[in-house]
Amino acid sequence: MALLELDSLTKRFGGLVAVNDVSFDISQGEIVSLIGPNGAGKTTAFNCVTGLFPLTGGDVRLDGVSIAGLPPHRVLRLGIARTFQNIRLFSFMTAVDNVMVGAHWWMKARVWDGALRTPRSRNEEREVQGRAFDLLDQLRLARYAGSYARELPYGLQRRLEIARALATQPRLLLLDEPAAGLNPQEKNELMALIARLRSEGLTIFLIEHDMRVVMEASDRIVVLDHGEKIAEGKPAEVRADPRVVEAYLGSGASQEMHGA
Amino acid sequence: MLRRILRPATSASGEVQGGMVWWLLAVAAALMLLVGWLLPWFLEPVSGGVGFSPQDVVVSSPTGIGTILVYVLGVTMLILVLSPIAELAFRFRKGTLGPRWDRVRFAAAGTGLLLTVLVWLLVRIIQEEPLFGPVDSHTITNSAVWLTMYGYGVAAVVYGAREWVLMHPNLTFGASALPFGALLPVMFHQAPDFVLWGAQDLAIYVLLALGLNVVVGFAGLLDLGYAAFFAIGAYMCASLASPAHHLHLPLWALLFIGAMVAALFGAVLGAPTLRLRGDYLAIVTLGFGEIIPDLATNDVGGFTGGPNGISAIDQPQLGPINFGTNPQWFYWSLLIVVILVIILLRNVEHSRMGRAWVALREDEVAAAATGINTTSTKLLAFAIGASVSGFAGAFYGSMLTAITPEAFLFQVSVTVLSIIVLGGIGNIIGVIVGSFVLTFVIYWVLQNLNEWSVTLGHTINLPALSNVNFTQYTYMIYGVALVVMMLFRPGGLLPSRARRVELETGIESESLAAVQGKA
Repeated sequence: MALLELDSLTKRFGGLVAVNDVSFDISQGEIVSLIGPNGAGKTTAFNCVTGLFPLTGGDVRLDGVSIAGLPPHRVLRLGIARTFQNIRLFSFMTAVDNVMVGAHWWMKARVWDGALRTPRSRNEEREVQGRAFDLLDQLRLARYAGSYARELPYGLQRRLEIARALATQPRLLLLDEPAAGLNPQEKNELMALIARLRSEGLTIFLIEHDMRVVMEASDRIVVLDHGEKIAEGKPAEVRADPRVVEAYLGSGASQEMHGA
Repeated sequence: MLRRILRPATSASGEVQGGMVWWLLAVAAALMLLVGWLLPWFLEPVSGGVGFSPQDVVVSSPTGIGTILVYVLGVTMLILVLSPIAELAFRFRKGTLGPRWDRVRFAAAGTGLLLTVLVWLLVRIIQEEPLFGPVDSHTITNSAVWLTMYGYGVAAVVYGAREWVLMHPNLTFGASALPFGALLPVMFHQAPDFVLWGAQDLAIYVLLALGLNVVVGFAGLLDLGYAAFFAIGAYMCASLASPAHHLHLPLWALLFIGAMVAALFGAVLGAPTLRLRGDYLAIVTLGFGEIIPDLATNDVGGFTGGPNGISAIDQPQLGPINFGTNPQWFYWSLLIVVILVIILLRNVEHSRMGRAWVALREDEVAAAATGINTTSTKLLAFAIGASVSGFAGAFYGSMLTAITPEAFLFQVSVTVLSIIVLGGIGNIIGVIVGSFVLTFVIYWVLQNLNEWSVTLGHTINLPALSNVNFTQYTYMIYGVALVVMMLFRPGGLLPSRARRVELETGIESESLAAVQGKA
């Protein structure tokens, strides 16, 4: 059974239809990319899945159970973590604190545990901090642990956002343009990271503009244009699809390509 | 400009020259010396203070060991009082006073402290000495001596261990402030209004500011009606421990009942306003802050006593000590409460929930997408903030023995908010410094300034001075203080680290509800 199912997902903002009747599945362990020109509705689809936007129509199911209409924190607690296109870190918290926020939902210490520094709070705090340092270490951010997120270079902020998402112990990771603004070497590292996460059993759903990353990393690609799904398939199939070429390069381009 | 000067400067030799805490303590020591020396002169012009007032030097014959001591003490005091100014002047000219001067000032502070203690002991043993005047526990000079000793002590720490102070700012601050806090009723026993200020205004406002700091500073929710929870705590306590309803529950239980009821109201107010942020939340809380005193004035439900309020509230009793006749015990118990609240809130700040609050303040959308339940987290901040306020209210009621709706108007909320802004939003120590500075000026200096100016007017034969009413200028002082702060130190006197960086970059995040299209 599919891990995540989008069932004729529709989102309308007033008169504008941002996502129109889009359906596709993501299976456990898969890497699926969502691509399309700017304004195609990719991020909107992400926001609908993670509960940031209420749906206008259709349904989103995780393990066959509808998660439509759940608040974002409930969606996360079911195992869907995400990063944002325009990085949304807690700017004036240290890198390690940012990652520790990711552990917030499964930590057990109550307010009074924190206030009285009970053994439960202290032990848990130490354990979570240890895990946060491990994660930072894995993403090679360890030496920035004490810096404010704001003070990190751009590429590292992207990585820190992934670390924070991983700290929530997700089953499905949604990455919104993780390669944007990265240099070629950082992109290679990102692809290696994605491959490693998959080998650890994580399912990954990403939005990406960089075609090299998309083609090399994905098992399957879904293409959106003007809010509608225009293609779905393996990277090679999608690349050859005339409708996709047209969506990206404008009408006429595909004829030229095929005619030439 | 001022910010650059107050920042620690590193000299050519790589030695750090001064930080904010260092400056605060240096100025505080200078002020204490000044007050300790001049107060007896002002307040007991006839009895002639201890040998520490300049007057004695003038009045007494120039011979005798006492006079020499006074001259020596005068020199040490002058050195220490002028020190921060000299340091600042040098900083202006990009120069620094070297460690040699630190040694000079340390010597001055040490000598001053030693001589003061010596003279004080001498006078206590002889009981009466012509030059120094009487120093029994009934004279103002006794208080002045305590204050002077304390001032010399702080100066010795500040100048003698400058580098240590800079490395451990919080520890130094706590270590210097705590004895002052604990000894305040002893040092100022001759100025009962000062002790009263310590208990009624300082301690209560510290509590209020600490509570509001949770809501505004940690969670980033602007609350303009904070006095409402203060009122709820006070009325709760007053109606259950006064002849008004023939109920006399013990205060120690009422403190917690007041806190819990206020927390409940905090959650009740929080629930409908959760989707709001910034200006909108401020307006709703402002409304709530207006409603509560109005309800009390109109005696809704018949238990607030209307505009006359509730009077003859029970005084707490601790063993043989009745707090009503020994008001300094109010101060000491409040001091313990304040310290406990500081410890608890500091722990919470550095725990799971504190992190969630800051995350919420930084980026509500990201916080929600990282698994934080924004609703319950905000409610908790509101409830905790309100409970501290309710606790303070219960104490306040029994301390004043009578409460009226007028004690809980908008200006209380504004004062508490000003304290936080002045001291440093989100920084517990900053908030305490803010309470100290603002309540000292508003509730003690201004209250007494009229009297002093009358005395001064008489002394120097300038009747016009007697007619100025300084209390009228309370709000002007708020205004000027806040404008000056925003211009020169927008993060407050002691800004939190996050706030310092934030001011250099400046961002504002949107609310979750706005992103979801619900608000």
